[in-house]
Amino acid sequence: MDLGLIVYALNLAAIYALMAVGISILWSSVGIINMAHGATFAVSGYAAWVVTGALKPVIATALGNSGLATLAMAGTLVGTALIAGAVCGIIIYLLAFLPIHDKPNFPVRALIITLGLNIATVQGLLWFFGPRNQGLPKIFGFGRWEVFGTRIRYDQAGTIIGAALVMALTLAWLRYSRRGLEVRAMMQNAEGAAYSGISRQATALPVLMLTGALAGMAAALLSQTIFVSPTAGVIPLVKGLTIALLGGLGSVSGALIAALLIGFLEAIIGAIPFLGQRYVLFGTFLFIIAVLIIRPRGIGGLLDDTRE
Amino acid sequence: MSERKFHKVGRRPWEIRGTPDGAKERRRGRLPGTKRHWLKWRDVHNHKTLRRERVLADKMPLWWVLGLGAVLIATPFMSNTMIGVVSIFCIYAAINVLWTLIVGTAGISSLATLAVVGAAGYVAAACNVYLGVPWPFMLVIGPVTGLVMGAILAAPSTRLDGLYYALLTMGVAEICRVFVLQLRALTASGGAITNVDSFIPDDWFLQRPGLLLGFAGAFLLLLGALLVWRLVNSERLGMLLRVSRASREDEAFAEAIGIDFRRARLMVFLISSAALGVVGAYYAMYFGSISPQIFSLDTMLLLFAMMVIGGLGRAEGAVLGDAIVTFIDKGLIELGPPRIILVALCMIGVTIFAREGLTGARAQFRDFRKRKSGEARARRTEKGGEAMPEEATEVHDKQELYYRRFNKRLRDRLKGLITPELIDEHKRDPLGHHSDALARVLNYFRRGEMADKYVIHRMKPAEERFRIMAVSGERGRPPRVVDDREYTDIKEAYHAVFLLRVNDLMES
Repeated sequence: MDLGLIVYALNLAAIYALMAVGISILWSSVGIINMAHGATFAVSGYAAWVVTGALKPVIATALGNSGLATLAMAGTLVGTALIAGAVCGIIIYLLAFLPIHDKPNFPVRALIITLGLNIATVQGLLWFFGPRNQGLPKIFGFGRWEVFGTRIRYDQAGTIIGAALVMALTLAWLRYSRRGLEVRAMMQNAEGAAYSGISRQATALPVLMLTGALAGMAAALLSQTIFVSPTAGVIPLVKGLTIALLGGLGSVSGALIAALLIGFLEAIIGAIPFLGQRYVLFGTFLFIIAVLIIRPRGIGGLLDDTRE
Repeated sequence: MSERKFHKVGRRPWEIRGTPDGAKERRRGRLPGTKRHWLKWRDVHNHKTLRRERVLADKMPLWWVLGLGAVLIATPFMSNTMIGVVSIFCIYAAINVLWTLIVGTAGISSLATLAVVGAAGYVAAACNVYLGVPWPFMLVIGPVTGLVMGAILAAPSTRLDGLYYALLTMGVAEICRVFVLQLRALTASGGAITNVDSFIPDDWFLQRPGLLLGFAGAFLLLLGALLVWRLVNSERLGMLLRVSRASREDEAFAEAIGIDFRRARLMVFLISSAALGVVGAYYAMYFGSISPQIFSLDTMLLLFAMMVIGGLGRAEGAVLGDAIVTFIDKGLIELGPPRIILVALCMIGVTIFAREGLTGARAQFRDFRKRKSGEARARRTEKGGEAMPEEATEVHDKQELYYRRFNKRLRDRLKGLITPELIDEHKRDPLGHHSDALARVLNYFRRGEMADKYVIHRMKPAEERFRIMAVSGERGRPPRVVDDREYTDIKEAYHAVFLLRVNDLMES
């Protein structure tokens, strides 16, 4: 295995981790399986595309063709994607959480509503923007570094570092802030948290905004490698969901481990000559099925009885 | 007694009731070979007219006959395109009814329903095209393949549940799709098997007679699926599973009373998988081809949306949702992409407002109305002991209503008479000549009902020790002691009873 493969695997793992951790946190604290995560991803990508497209001439006239202009561009792109993701989170909060969070069958109904949102958003984007791929400005520039004899593209390095940074910030927020403490309490035991005076409504909004922003970040980073398209969210959603389940819903560390495992698995399957890219999904699912049969609640998850 | 006219008042449902002839013996048809009756007729007696009436306790069969009959009668008059749409509706409805059996009755959240259909369709089509098996045998190959797929899928369902199982089945569907796409023999046609033989003759294909024949087959398929639903869900298997379905505790309960619900679940899963295999074979025959599209996530989501809109876990929900979504998706095809948005918005709207889809809306509305009227009744009851309008229609003896109203007004008036001076007057002289106000109050107390009426009990004969008791109002049941205070003076005891009654009056 050469270093390029490891970098590629880490690159995949970084994007997957951003998606999977969001899904995992959201499920364990609020109780929503967010099927609209893919839509959030696509919407953030498009928002970043529209805003950077509009601001490109402005930045170019103000700052010329300097490094500062690239920096401003990067800030706009990431900022827009984050804000768009958070706004999507608010919409999901208003539609899939607030009206039904105290009604019967909440988890199933929330799943269905987010699924409907996902379908509607993807079709809406298709209708409005057309099925063509859109390229976002390359904020890390083109080029590659030579490290230990292998080439690492700037976008790969940027994705890995950016994702690691965002993940670290998220985990720190969960660990050290007051709100993060509340979220963790809800993840452990929602009922107990409610008894201790933690409001479900008040906690759900920041959690949804945070997970939306994570999806937005994933979109901004992935758009450096591939194009933005209306259906771009489907694959990250399926991957994020499978990884969150593989890691055990509600376990952040499990999701991280699962993201790394799947990233490496995909890179390796893709690199084996007689399998190739077409068998990647096939192999991943076989692996996940095998793991789930051995550990029915994923890598980091506990069976409900044990949890109780 | 002459014929009296009764007005429809209150909450009596406006339903048509039969008037059976009491002198004749009742004849009820039974389903041949079983003890089941065709319809659930029940004889009741109307307590106002005191006559026998016959009501249909379960009206669902009526709605089914009306709905399916309308489809059957209207379709031959439709355009060719619409006949195709109705046929697809029938096929999808058959799939969804069987899927409902898996999700609702067995409680297994499987997303591989279409994978079973697709696999059975592919195997049957391949046997027909490459091995030359004539088409009637496809209807045997299909269910056998479905059964095998069902057995493969059912194996992990004993270990996994809920979302984890859903994910696994989604993975199976994806594996099927990739597997088909990788087959060398099919790469030329993009993974599709074409030129499958069919029960529709070749020169009728896409012609009106062929379309009508296809529709007839699809309709029979739907009826078959509904029959499977009825046989599984409403007979022994469904009964066993209903015991164990509601919650985890119920599973333990079911196990404790000897229900092997895992086996029952497995049976339901296998039966529906075999039936789905028939649908798969029919699907391949109807279209004359089968493509990997059937394994895709989009098709699965569309079918899932149908079930959700109609109501998850009910056959009528699956069919109604199918009708709506198929109409939007295939009937309004000139709308373009927005029609899928329309489907998604339907899904969101129904899920936000309805607890159990459109077919559950009626029960939900009734619950809502009951709750609201209950709240309103509680609000009004706080104002006094009078009978409420809706309660009044249900009280048989109208005298009772006037008595209650009179009593309430009397109590309100007497409450105004009670003053400290009045109580003082009674304390001075419980048995003397009283003022007008005190006389009225005491008269009211004397007329009180026997139940819970206070009495003075002399504890030992010829001894001046008294205590206060309350009579039960029932023959043979002894009075109860109100408190443990003893009085040595009978006048004190009289006054204590008076105070207790005043207290009760003020609190009523």
